[in-house]
Amino acid sequence: TPVFLSLFNLKRRLYVTQAARKAEVAEPFKFPPQEVQVTKLPSGLVIASLENYSPASRIGVLVRAGSRYETFDSLGVTHLLRLASGLTTKGASAFRICHGIEAVGGCLSVSTTRETMVYTVDCLRDHIDTVMEYLINVTTAPEFRPWEVSELTPRLKVDIAIAQQSPQIGVIENLHAAAYKNTLSNSLYCPDYMVGKITPDKMHTFVQNNFTSGRMALVGLGVDHAVLKQVGEQFLNIRSGTGTIGSKALFRGGELRSQTGGSLVHAAVVAESAAASSAEATAFGVLQHVLGAGPHIKRGTNSTSRLSQAISKATAQPFDASAFNATYSDTGLFGVYTISQADSARDVSHFHYAVLPLTQLKAEYLMSVENSEGLFDAIGTQALSEGTYHSPEAITQRIDAVSSNDVVNAAKKFMSGKKSMACSGNLVNTPFMDEI
Amino acid sequence: MASKTPAATGRLLFTFKKWYYNACGFNKLGLVRDDTVYENTDVKEAIRRLPEPVYNDRMFRIRRALDLSMKHQILPKDQWTKYEEDVHYLQPYLKEVIRERKEKEEWQRK
Repeated sequence: TPVFLSLFNLKRRLYVTQAARKAEVAEPFKFPPQEVQVTKLPSGLVIASLENYSPASRIGVLVRAGSRYETFDSLGVTHLLRLASGLTTKGASAFRICHGIEAVGGCLSVSTTRETMVYTVDCLRDHIDTVMEYLINVTTAPEFRPWEVSELTPRLKVDIAIAQQSPQIGVIENLHAAAYKNTLSNSLYCPDYMVGKITPDKMHTFVQNNFTSGRMALVGLGVDHAVLKQVGEQFLNIRSGTGTIGSKALFRGGELRSQTGGSLVHAAVVAESAAASSAEATAFGVLQHVLGAGPHIKRGTNSTSRLSQAISKATAQPFDASAFNATYSDTGLFGVYTISQADSARDVSHFHYAVLPLTQLKAEYLMSVENSEGLFDAIGTQALSEGTYHSPEAITQRIDAVSSNDVVNAAKKFMSGKKSMACSGNLVNTPFMDEI
Repeated sequence: MASKTPAATGRLLFTFKKWYYNACGFNKLGLVRDDTVYENTDVKEAIRRLPEPVYNDRMFRIRRALDLSMKHQILPKDQWTKYEEDVHYLQPYLKEVIRERKEKEEWQRK
């Protein structure tokens, strides 16, 4: 009936106005942008965290225990450690680690570079405690039970087989083996003769000597700094000190050729550049982008790269060339990586030292820290190597400070320095290093 | 029954255990208690996890016992396994296997 309906509508209208008034009164919650916080504990552990208000957090333990710290009788132990992250630890069995992390929707991953090992967990913000427990267990108290370690051998073989499929990986590994006498010459992958021979004892020794709190950094994105600090103080100081000091990398400038047949030749020619902490490192980074570090447009013709321009004058066949720049804590490699047809003989081109686009390097750095993986890597490596974090503004200032003289000097250093070379493919027409 | 002191009870229990061990008779074939445990799936997994020297010793003892049993002989008395020297080498591995199985079952139930 009409009377009833109008009463009903009245009630609803009043309710709506009430709700509208409440919405005006309540203020929107403010999320102020936070800065990266870095603390260094007395045990040497560096803790860095950034509250980025993301619903997913990412926590990682970075350890200065890359393949350069492998000893001669335990080559390949870092490869096996990479695969052994899910094995039983003192606090949790392998089954529990796997299912526990899966149950909260997290993900535990390990990656190694020549200098660091990074153990990362990502999960939703609410489940940080659970995954943190597993992460701490994996990094500080692994048990390496013999039967579990021997079950890793098939996975090791698969990893090595996959790496051998990629000529780029082969060339880069050979390059490091040829360029350095020790430390950095160790490959990221286990050598064939060591497959099945790395015992739990060797793994324990490596962990004892290298996974010490003086060489670790605990990094978190989307975590509270106080929480991380507490975890670091309580759990990550099991092995204190700096462990065994790694030796300095000695550059020797050798050459390694690997004849594999096929129609292409992958070649890398490098000279020793600068350590990561030196001022020259940024100059080499700029030089890398001047010469061309990959096309800026996907599937484009890479026409702005000076290397590509110079080499296209020398040959009409398809090729790809980019500058190769690798910086480590006490040394670096800078050079050119080329992929070419087997029968076009390669000569190193002459480079033109003109006005430099610094903006490309800045843009690449800023874009890499935009997503959480890049940001995590950036915070982590800086925390580990220097104990502090430089904001993107500081880094861009550093890039701006590079003058064209610096880059010219860097290029001269490359041209005049002792070279090292590695190539693979159909090497019938590839010149030797002394012929370049 | 007069109440026995704990030390006396312990010694009595030990004597009984020792008598029972000798009465079982596997020590006359040179076997150890864990060589004779029935091989269900848990025990099979625990045996798989034995370190190689321990596993080889076990295999040797079992083979020697099988050979003696075929010939209907036993070892000379000085080679019989003594109760005090019997090492329960399989127990730690077996305990671990059972704990892992129970953990898996616990997880499936939840």
